[in-house]
Amino acid sequence: MQRCDVNRCLVALAALLILAGCASNPPGAVPVKDNGASIRQEQEWMGAEPLGRQPGTPAPGMTPAPEPDAEVLVMVPPDADMPLQTGPGAVAFPGGSSGSAIVAAPPSQPPSGIPQGGRLAPDEELEGPVLALLTSARQMQSSGDLNGAASNLERAQRIAPREPQVLFRLAELRLAQDAPAQAEQLARRALTYATGRPALQASLWELIAQARERQGDPAGAAQARQRARVSS
Amino acid sequence: MKQSPSSRSRRTKPARPKRRWLGWLVKLGLVGLVILAGFAIYLDAVVQEKFSGKRWTVPAKVYARPLEVFSGLKLSQADFLRELEALGYRRTERLEGPGGFSVAGSAVELQTRGFQFYESVESSQHIRVRFANDRVASMSRPGGGELAVVRLEPLLIGGIYPAHQEDRILIKIDEVPPLLVDALVAVEDREYFQHFGVSPKSIARALWVNVSAGGLRQGGSTLTQQLVKNFFLTNERTLSRKAVEAMMAVLLELHYDKWEILEAYLNEVFLGQDGQRAIHGFGLASQYYFGQPLAELKAHQVALLVGMVKGPTFYNPRRQPERALARRNLVLDLMVEQGSLDAAQATRAKQQPLGITPRGRLADTSFPAFLDLVKRQLREDYQEQDLTEEGLRIFTSFDPLLQLKAEEALAETLQRLGNRKGVDEIEAAMVVANPETGELQALIGGRQPRFAGYNRALDAVRPIGSLVKPAVYLAALERPSQYTLTSLIEDEPFSVTARDGQVWQPQNYDRKSHGTVYLYQGLVNSYNLSTARLGLDIGVENVLRTLQRLGVTRQWPAYPSMLLGAGALTPMEVTGMYQTLANGGFNTPLRAIRSVLGGSGEPLKRYPFEIQQRFDPGAIYLIQNAMQRTMREGTGRSVYNQLPTTLSLAGKTGTSNDSRDSWFAGFSQDLLSVVWLGRDDNGATPLTGASGGMQVWARFMAKADPMPLETPVPDNIVLAWVNAYTGEGSAEHCPDAVQMPYIRGSEPRPGASCGIPPAESVMDWVRGWLN
Repeated sequence: MQRCDVNRCLVALAALLILAGCASNPPGAVPVKDNGASIRQEQEWMGAEPLGRQPGTPAPGMTPAPEPDAEVLVMVPPDADMPLQTGPGAVAFPGGSSGSAIVAAPPSQPPSGIPQGGRLAPDEELEGPVLALLTSARQMQSSGDLNGAASNLERAQRIAPREPQVLFRLAELRLAQDAPAQAEQLARRALTYATGRPALQASLWELIAQARERQGDPAGAAQARQRARVSS
Repeated sequence: MKQSPSSRSRRTKPARPKRRWLGWLVKLGLVGLVILAGFAIYLDAVVQEKFSGKRWTVPAKVYARPLEVFSGLKLSQADFLRELEALGYRRTERLEGPGGFSVAGSAVELQTRGFQFYESVESSQHIRVRFANDRVASMSRPGGGELAVVRLEPLLIGGIYPAHQEDRILIKIDEVPPLLVDALVAVEDREYFQHFGVSPKSIARALWVNVSAGGLRQGGSTLTQQLVKNFFLTNERTLSRKAVEAMMAVLLELHYDKWEILEAYLNEVFLGQDGQRAIHGFGLASQYYFGQPLAELKAHQVALLVGMVKGPTFYNPRRQPERALARRNLVLDLMVEQGSLDAAQATRAKQQPLGITPRGRLADTSFPAFLDLVKRQLREDYQEQDLTEEGLRIFTSFDPLLQLKAEEALAETLQRLGNRKGVDEIEAAMVVANPETGELQALIGGRQPRFAGYNRALDAVRPIGSLVKPAVYLAALERPSQYTLTSLIEDEPFSVTARDGQVWQPQNYDRKSHGTVYLYQGLVNSYNLSTARLGLDIGVENVLRTLQRLGVTRQWPAYPSMLLGAGALTPMEVTGMYQTLANGGFNTPLRAIRSVLGGSGEPLKRYPFEIQQRFDPGAIYLIQNAMQRTMREGTGRSVYNQLPTTLSLAGKTGTSNDSRDSWFAGFSQDLLSVVWLGRDDNGATPLTGASGGMQVWARFMAKADPMPLETPVPDNIVLAWVNAYTGEGSAEHCPDAVQMPYIRGSEPRPGASCGIPPAESVMDWVRGWLN
């Protein structure tokens, strides 16, 4: 609008003259108002609006579920701030020094958790896409975006549907989302895939115990705690 | 206004003397000016109200699942290229930006486009994917490290349109290729950036042309006027409308800057008709004609779209390719004239073909059955107006690769069966789901899957025949103290008399009886006599309760005929029932929608994964074992004519009376599919479950390359050696000894060792069985 070209100014002048001839606004007419700026603002706001957190915001007074006592079975480093893409050696080869020659060689075996001919992943640290997604889910959960975290965990579940650690994380998240019945069911599903992994079994039973407490079933919770002790 | 302009002017009478005449004229002029000013103010309000609010309603867009690529993914290179092609990626020698790919042997290099998903934005990435043995062997950034997981953007599979069927993809002015703006201005309105809404120069020129040609040949409309015409006014061609249009154009230019008006124009302009659907705006037109986002268009594509503004029907590149090509090349010439292209660029562009995608690729009609399902689920949660106007983005689990394979399997099988009498009149339905997540991946609602209409997958309620039998046997196997897989049952004729005096006398399909059989054989060979006897012993009520726990919600009367599948279900309901069997006894509501984003990208709703344990994993393990034997040695064995014998599968055939319904339901580890064939008029068909539905199923499985079924052995299952002929306990290395699973405590007592190697522990057996 700074540079007022001739045409535009002429029109503006003409309009002004016409308006000047009017003693007042005719009845029923809407007064002229310049709305141009507000449109621009609205569009910018629409474009730059951050991904809303509303659906995932935890209810007031509800804190995210306590982090499980990590140790063996919690696959994601709790302080992980890894991006989805793995840098050289970072996620795909845990512990490997970055930039080493190993990186160039493609993994001879696909990452754990991904079903290969139906066999279960061995009890070991996760890697590759499942680890990346679990890491990103943990970040979202700790920043309060529980729905985003659940969405990423379900992506991991699609990649590794029989990996009990993914189901375990989903169960934890459901507990944090105040859905203890679902948390228990997911933990039970995880148990069917956790044969021969006592530490994971114990954590799952502990989670079931918490879920039952939240559902007002102290007796069931005690039973689950009993199983947790037997498993560990 | 108290007096309308026309009544006022009619009452004024021509003046007699000259001086008075002049006075009247001045007064009249003043009055006219006031009226005109009032009218201008009114028009101004109209312009601003419509332009400052929500300018367009945008129909909801429905997306397929995004392809998630990672090292180890089961995906053939051919399927990957099929997906890229469906997404409108261009194959080039060297990558030139998003939406392009190149192939070198078993490696594909591409640049993804980036996309906003429910939980995060996936940015555009340059990746290299290497394939080996129908899997992704590695994925890396060229010159960089391995990548864990990359999502392609999802295929748009349809929209939810309002009654007037106006569709568009809104674009922002900064996404528009500068060349498009240059071309549009060059062709439609050269003075656009100089004029104030109307262009006296163009009007004068148009007037000159029209007068010298003696008729209406050329309009002097500016882009602003064209926008005003489309946006605020009707289509009539009168001088007064023209005047209103000009006034509104000037008013619009007073309030909004050139780029804003241009953005509105680019989104509003009509660029074609797709059946009932009107294609508005360059964003949608780019997808509709080229299958690509607007930002990726090259000069020849831009020129074609700009050329079409003059007459989208007349220059329709699908119907009138020669006309469209000539128009495109004319636009390219104009672009050279205006300096936005050099002559060499234009020559190269003119050598390009039109490059139009095959018709209907993005049409609402591509996958009507699945879209119908999505709409039904959405209507439970949203108002119709939200769906047709708010620009929602619906993310589904639809897998276009599996859908195309299912469609091909159906078409090929029907063609193969075509020489049988009566196959012409057969209709079909098919459901494909992931049993572990409950996500629906493909859906066929009729023999012609591209045509919308009666969605048999959701609406055809048909007797399920022997598909019901796993429920009978599951109900038995849940009582390990009474029944095991090797319990002996009678397959002999019998009859029962109901309270009302009706006699029910079941028969085997082959009209024979088979004497005493193992319990599992009754299911594996689909014997009616032994199944009915078993079901009556357990109680019809108990079998119906088992069906409900499997997920069947229909209320059926407890008639004995229910044991042989007199009850009717839709293919979708059968899928729900078999999902519980396939997923270790955990029921998951089948889902088609994953999440919904609002019009400006804000997360609205998620449909989370939910499960409920309905059965003991041990009992499910046993029924799955029997259903695997059905495929190996029973009614399903002919699937291995089409499939490798290493592939463990479980399933069940179903045939209703007089072969009116030909069913098959079965699953691998990662794929569950139900097929129904039959006639809409419920007439007899020449097909049984095995010769009809199962053939489609097997062909689909052969294309889909599923993972073999391998359920982990539950804690309460033991494997015991039994004599294949007596069912009595035996031991390894004994003659006729076979291994069978039992719920712990229900296995027969081990027989005497036959000596050769020392007996092994149960855990070793389990391990041996697993390997």
